[in-house]
Amino acid sequence: MHTFLTGIFFWIALSVCLIGMLVRFVLYFRGLSWQLDRVAYKAHPMHGFKGAIRSIYKWMLPFGTFGWRTQPFMAIIFFGFHMGAIFVPLFLVAHNMFLESKLGFSFFTMGAGLADFLTWTTLICAFFLILRRIALPEVRIMTNFHDYLILFISLAPFITGLLARYQVGDYSFWLNLHIFCGEVLLIAIPFTKLSHVFLFFASRAQLGMDFGIKRGGMKGTKMAW
Amino acid sequence: MFKKILFATSATEVSDHAARVAFNIARSYNAHLNIFHVLGVPSRGFSQVVVDVKTKERVDVDDDYMDWVKEEVTTYYSKYLDNGLESSITVTVGLPAREILRQAKDTKPDLILLGGSTGDEKDSVYKKNSAGSTLQKVARSAKCPVLVVNRPAASFWGGLSNITFGTDFSKTSDKAFDFAFKIAKALDCELNVFHALDIFSLSIGGILPQDDIEQKIREKLRTIRSRYETRLKELKNYSMEVLEGIPYIEIVKYARDNHSDLIVMAHHSRKIKSEDANLGDNVEQVIVRAGCPVISVNR
Amino acid sequence: MPEGKYCNKTPVETPEEVNFLLSDTSGNTYYEEMESLDIDSDLLWKTIQNTFKSRLKTWLEICAHCGMCAESCFLYQVNNRDPKQVPAYKIQSTLGEIINRKGKVDNKFMRHAMEVAWAQCTCCNRCGTYCPHGIDTGIMFGYLRGLLYQQGFVPWEMKIGAGMHRTYRAQMDVTNEDFVETFEWMIEENEDEYPGLTAPVDKEGADILYTVNAREVKHYPEDLAEAAILFHIAGENWTIPSAGWEQTSLAMFAGDWAACKMQVESVYAAMERLKPKRMIGTECGHAHRATVIEGPYWAGRKDGLPPVESIHYVEWLAEALRTGKLKIDPSKRIKELVTIQDSCNYIRNQGLKDATREIISYIVEPGYFVEMSPNKEHNYCCGGGGGFNGIGIFRKQRNKALITKRDQILKTGAKLVLAPCHNCWDAIRDLEEEYNIGIRWSFLKPVIIKMLDIPDHLKPEE
Repeated sequence: MHTFLTGIFFWIALSVCLIGMLVRFVLYFRGLSWQLDRVAYKAHPMHGFKGAIRSIYKWMLPFGTFGWRTQPFMAIIFFGFHMGAIFVPLFLVAHNMFLESKLGFSFFTMGAGLADFLTWTTLICAFFLILRRIALPEVRIMTNFHDYLILFISLAPFITGLLARYQVGDYSFWLNLHIFCGEVLLIAIPFTKLSHVFLFFASRAQLGMDFGIKRGGMKGTKMAW
Repeated sequence: MFKKILFATSATEVSDHAARVAFNIARSYNAHLNIFHVLGVPSRGFSQVVVDVKTKERVDVDDDYMDWVKEEVTTYYSKYLDNGLESSITVTVGLPAREILRQAKDTKPDLILLGGSTGDEKDSVYKKNSAGSTLQKVARSAKCPVLVVNRPAASFWGGLSNITFGTDFSKTSDKAFDFAFKIAKALDCELNVFHALDIFSLSIGGILPQDDIEQKIREKLRTIRSRYETRLKELKNYSMEVLEGIPYIEIVKYARDNHSDLIVMAHHSRKIKSEDANLGDNVEQVIVRAGCPVISVNR
Repeated sequence: MPEGKYCNKTPVETPEEVNFLLSDTSGNTYYEEMESLDIDSDLLWKTIQNTFKSRLKTWLEICAHCGMCAESCFLYQVNNRDPKQVPAYKIQSTLGEIINRKGKVDNKFMRHAMEVAWAQCTCCNRCGTYCPHGIDTGIMFGYLRGLLYQQGFVPWEMKIGAGMHRTYRAQMDVTNEDFVETFEWMIEENEDEYPGLTAPVDKEGADILYTVNAREVKHYPEDLAEAAILFHIAGENWTIPSAGWEQTSLAMFAGDWAACKMQVESVYAAMERLKPKRMIGTECGHAHRATVIEGPYWAGRKDGLPPVESIHYVEWLAEALRTGKLKIDPSKRIKELVTIQDSCNYIRNQGLKDATREIISYIVEPGYFVEMSPNKEHNYCCGGGGGFNGIGIFRKQRNKALITKRDQILKTGAKLVLAPCHNCWDAIRDLEEEYNIGIRWSFLKPVIIKMLDIPDHLKPEE
């Protein structure tokens, strides 16, 4: 089982995820139409580029935008969740050892304490994200099964990972389940709303280009996001 | 004298005095009377909704509604409209001053007659955010004399025998004189040329001794003579007078004492006052106070 | 009954058709007929397949249903935070559903979508700036309006408005002759006071080509006079086109893209015919958006720009004051609390916030200008944008929508509101009429004319 999950299934999951992302990313930009979107992307590439960078950058800063500042609670749980959700999978020591053995390279790694902290933060923030979905009428009205499903898909590796980490019961069972959940997550990325992990950049860049070219950028006004 | 008269009316009680005068003049001079009614102000962007000036209700204006209002206006003035008076009724939508001026531009009347104010500023539909009153705007821009009847007391038009012409020696006043003179000559009536010495503007910087005032009065009288007397001599009856005081009060008083049945004055307030019309210039004050119709001339 | 006499999928193209549609008082029969109007699902789905691409598709797909857009929408705020007014919900439950069902939607659904598209969104684009994913719901509503228009589910006034553009190349039944004549009339009325005042028609190679809003011609010609006076005093070499003078586009509000193209091409044709250095439009928000910001795309201009540089009136005013072409008599500056309404269409959507504030710095005594909160690109819609002002059946919803602006104005304490946009001006007038808060409102032109320091050689001889 373990061999299957760390062998062929890992390769499948990773390729589906990376190729899927790449294909969708390329398709997104190829599908942009200057006339349908009413943004002259090609005529003013520099304005577009500046607008895109600004639009992405500002929104990646906690409290960097009016949107984040007007909803501080959301901003905190949002960044709390996403920091863990991005850094832990990428920079956990065990993950990188695995990566090293499989692909022959690894990223920078973080200490166990920080990893624990981030993981717990992610889970706590996720709890509040779920609570928010249930408690706030303006979020509840739109929330559907899919939203809970992707929350489940993205949280499952964290929960199973923690259970393995604290060796609750059968370690190898949790570890295998953890790996499986992680691989399901990878596969889900290109096909679900999880695609936002890369389409976020595409969509933000697009609106950034819109503002950078059409909506003020060429008048010298930088959008005060 | 008058061949075409444009009578702008709200077709409500407040315009009744003016209506009496309008129909009287039209009948006396066999003039064509165009009864002009702006039924409401478009207030909903590009929608078809207007606020009806009479009912103050929001209505959708279409041809049926226009016809209905036309019918209403006809009924309202039915008692005047019988026996062969040449008249027409026009109903439109818009801001009254602008529409009156537009109608005047298109039909070129010799005289515009304005009905009374639509009353309480607060509820008046016409006044909604129009800087300055309809009167100010029309008097400022109209190409023909504008006759206004404000007080009921001013509406007893029994023909013309005595005209008061108030002058301030401006260019526009000369135009107004030409007009007053033309009427006086055509109708064979008495023309009184009057100038009021504004004691307030004179007394800035100290109270003026009466001797000085009277000196000024003599000077002004000489001005009147030199400006107008040659032509006045063509008339049978005329007089010239200068008095000191607050100009609009003096003019109203003078016209009353002389039993004038018309006051003619120049309107040359350049700027339209957006705030308090009561502080408007003399002619507007005279209109509000006079016991007879007032004609304002601006060119 | 598939297609009604009044309510159908065919655009209005001739004066007779316009009048016929107008003859249906309040659109009563029109809306009755709408209840049995058929949907051409095949056409709808085909259109979607041809036009619903990357950007919109991704927007609908990656929306995280996080609800962060809720608070950004003034209609959500003002309707007691009704979750049905959350921008994301509004678009998901309308456009989203049409896509899900591949265009197979019924009449009732379409009528509901029409209400959402025109009475629950003014296309102010504010939510787009509050979405972490950069999803601009306003743009999607514009798209939805286009689909609804195609299927004949469009408010009566909008259909008329678009029809006016198709018929007269103006938003009202104002002909080219009416336009020129009215301008000339206004010159006549004011030339005594401003000797030498002219409105040169069709002058080639002028520095400025001036375009207007047909409502000025029809109801407020003073506005034309004021524009002429300000250009005259500033010593500008300007002209008006005898055709292609209408800058607005109700067709844009209606979602009638073909009419948008016709309208804007008439203005561009004037530019190409007269070859001015610049085009300046009147104090109108959506007119600027239609002709300058969106227009080039409708007309198929790849650089996204009009044929000649086109600026908003506030940009010209700011420039004229800055360069001293227009001089303000400091003693006549505004000395009461005054605030300014930021029009979504050229502030949020073209970043002209500094131009209006520069003008303020010249015409308001320091210390008397109060900003609304929020302001600039984060300002709220006046409450009447996107056609909302003009739609009879949604009047109630519109009046409620005005509350946001009312409260924003009340908070400033100012009794004078400068509103350099026709739509905002209307909405603010209506909110005063509806709620009687005792304010005055004005375009910039009349305010500035009153405080001009006019050079002696331009004054009338006395």
